Amino acid sequence: MAEDQKKRVLLVEDAGLVRMYYREALQGAGFDVDEALNGIEALEKLLTAPVDLLIVDVNMPQMDGLTFIRTLRRQTPAIASIPVLITSTESSPQDIHAARIAGANFYLTKPVGQEQLVLHARILSGCVA
Amino acid sequence: MPADVPPVTGEEFRVLCEFLYRRTGMVFTEAKRYYVQRRVTERLQATGFTSYAHYFARLRADSGDEIEQLINAFTVNETYFYREEHQLRCLTSDLLRERIRTKPRGRPIRIWSVPCSTGEEPYSIAIWLLENWPEVDAYDIDIVGSDIDTQVLDAARAGVFGKRALMHLPPRLVNQYLEPLDGEQWRIVEDLRQSVSFSTVNLVEMAETRAHGRFDVIFCRNVLIYFDDASRRLAAENLYENLEPGGFICLGHAESMSRISPLFDVCRYADAIVYQRPMEGARG
Ligand SMILES: C[S@@+](CC[C@H](N)C(=O)[O-])C[C@H]1O[C@@H](n2cnc3c(N)ncnc32)[C@H](O)[C@@H]1O
Repeated sequence: MAEDQKKRVLLVEDAGLVRMYYREALQGAGFDVDEALNGIEALEKLLTAPVDLLIVDVNMPQMDGLTFIRTLRRQTPAIASIPVLITSTESSPQDIHAARIAGANFYLTKPVGQEQLVLHARILSGCVA
Repeated sequence: MPADVPPVTGEEFRVLCEFLYRRTGMVFTEAKRYYVQRRVTERLQATGFTSYAHYFARLRADSGDEIEQLINAFTVNETYFYREEHQLRCLTSDLLRERIRTKPRGRPIRIWSVPCSTGEEPYSIAIWLLENWPEVDAYDIDIVGSDIDTQVLDAARAGVFGKRALMHLPPRLVNQYLEPLDGEQWRIVEDLRQSVSFSTVNLVEMAETRAHGRFDVIFCRNVLIYFDDASRRLAAENLYENLEPGGFICLGHAESMSRISPLFDVCRYADAIVYQRPMEGARG
């Protein structure tokens, strides 16, 4: 991706090691990566700098992933329309359904391989290549 | 100009070594006389005492933090990144896989680096997991580094390292997980520093080891070599209580549990020999 058309991703994840693991993969694939430790911080960041994709962990302190998405979808259209990729250790149909209802665009069950993450980030953020 | 400190007499040497042994489990023999003299001289100069009798009285009174300073001065803190890499390989290829099989969902994976000295070992474990364990995002991973030496723990928390410590870490990983400070020093990136927690522990004090809870894997490398049989056994029995049933302990290459305690099962994996706390009910 050329510097000026780099897609921006906001990674919303409380675990430092997981943030590093995902960031490494995304940056390696040419994404511009910003991070938030929970939903509250993510909403704050989005108000100042919108992004092309949100990657959101379900289990987070302060504001969990699903509450975050529901709040996100009630913001102004520019922010409310940002695609959301959920990552979660839960894999039951009920969990996936709950994420869909909350407004998630796609759901990946952890462990999410680095390649798999990049592939889905590309599709959801509208990368051409 | 520091005050002159006389050489220790045989009796003073004995009293000092006995004191250190009771406090830490570390054994200093006549062969280590030069090492002992250098360090105790350093402490006398730092505190302004000129006689051992007065200095020992101060230690016995336990006033201020002199016991802590004395212990800090006597520990051997040599360590570096990716030391005995084959054990790290064993961690991801066998030990964690084994632990996960029997672990109830949602429970964190806990790894203890004890003693951790200046932090190279626990940070190496974190880097190794990020690089070699594709399931790193599927578990809450709790990495704890502990040591008796409060000075090395401060250094570990700061996470600043020189060339020597980084010698065995591939340059790509240095670039990725550390930021250059100047030509000579690098600092562990913030996220990685936040992922490892540090605490003080004395391996031969059960109350202190107990307070750390139970772990899936313990790295206890290159400390038992400084102990005698009795303190080795004490440390091993304390650590046994810090393992989940089925949890593993990795020792340094010169150390063998079979000679220390019968509590553990020996496990031979392709990359390393490790010791396991038997599963509950596995023995009569
Ligand atoms: C040579 S370093 C080993 C560091 C690391 N495990 C490695 O293998 O590279 C030995 C460490 O043991 C610590 N130590 C000595 N006695 C101890 C005790 N009783 N309890 C906890 N740590 C102790 C020292 O402070 C020192 O940092």
